[in-house]
Amino acid sequence: MATALRLMIPTNESVELDDRQLVENVRSGKPEAFEQLVRRKTSKVYALCYRIIGNSEDAKDISQLVFIKLWENIEKYDPKYAFDTWLYRMVTNVGIDFIRSRQSRDNAVNSTLRLVKTSADAEQGLIVQRKEIEHVFQTCSTVLSPKQKTIFVMREMDDLASSEIARVLGCRESTVRNHLFNARKLLQEELKKRFPEYSKLWKENA
Amino acid sequence: MISCQTFRATVRPGTDDSNVLEHLRSCDACLDHAVSIDPDFFFRSIGGSEMVPPGGVDNFVSDVMAQVRMRQTEGSSMRRLPLNQYLRAAAALLFVIAGTTGVYRFSSVAPAIAPITTAAVQIHKPLTTKAVVETYQSQNATIVEMPTASAADAKVVMIYDDSLPADL
Repeated sequence: MATALRLMIPTNESVELDDRQLVENVRSGKPEAFEQLVRRKTSKVYALCYRIIGNSEDAKDISQLVFIKLWENIEKYDPKYAFDTWLYRMVTNVGIDFIRSRQSRDNAVNSTLRLVKTSADAEQGLIVQRKEIEHVFQTCSTVLSPKQKTIFVMREMDDLASSEIARVLGCRESTVRNHLFNARKLLQEELKKRFPEYSKLWKENA
Repeated sequence: MISCQTFRATVRPGTDDSNVLEHLRSCDACLDHAVSIDPDFFFRSIGGSEMVPPGGVDNFVSDVMAQVRMRQTEGSSMRRLPLNQYLRAAAALLFVIAGTTGVYRFSSVAPAIAPITTAAVQIHKPLTTKAVVETYQSQNATIVEMPTASAADAKVVMIYDDSLPADL
């Protein structure tokens, strides 16, 4: 009896609409469905924006812009494809555009500022501090192109497969692998220059 | 989440195992071990965690929805105008342009018109005396008596009442 009763109670899974259904509801004029979609994707979109852009306020603005674009283009979504792939494409397009414009602005202002750690720092014992890794990445990743950085973030931090990233960016899988290879190499070189204590990790394993 | 023991036994370079990655991103004790196996775990240890935009998710969502509503209103007001109204507006604009062009052409060929002299006209309005309110009763009036420096000064009393005529 208890089992029968439990089966009659709707679970969260059955009540919660999937992304495609929510999009369908938005298209049929239900703004509350869009609000639900924004709420569901905020953390994901913001995290990706933050890692691509490296600044919380800019990442917030860009995330909002992504959702506005999502609203404006919701009719263009093809339910044959995964909603997240479509959303990620929007995030990467807006994010890459933003980094490009910022890079050109920064290059015009200051093209030589580099923070390099001294060799004395490097001699200190190595303890990987989790909190510092994010900072190390944001510092070193400035040498990556916007596309390299985006691919690196999607692969290494969002765990997307190369094939999925290729679909998001609308390029070949080999291009993704190529960008990823170059990104790793550039990051290692930059790590060696700026954080020699961490670059030892690669040397020891090489 | 898997235990540290399981993690250390199963972690392999370049793994895509979600359980291993989840452990990597939350256990500080295993981070050094993972990095010693594959240095790429150094940057891979970032991520996985939920990130909240500054101000919180609720504020973020309400900001987005406010912008969406604003755009929706703008869009609907644009769409509300039917096609014939657009055509009417275009026709009116065309008419104004054509009229202005005609006037310009006419003024360029017309002889110069003598300037019109204007004289200032003074309108004498007879002064009238307003009726004096001798008796006055009201429930809503506020009476303010202005302070005077000496007893010889005229006493000024101000009455604030919405029911009194505005020009009194």
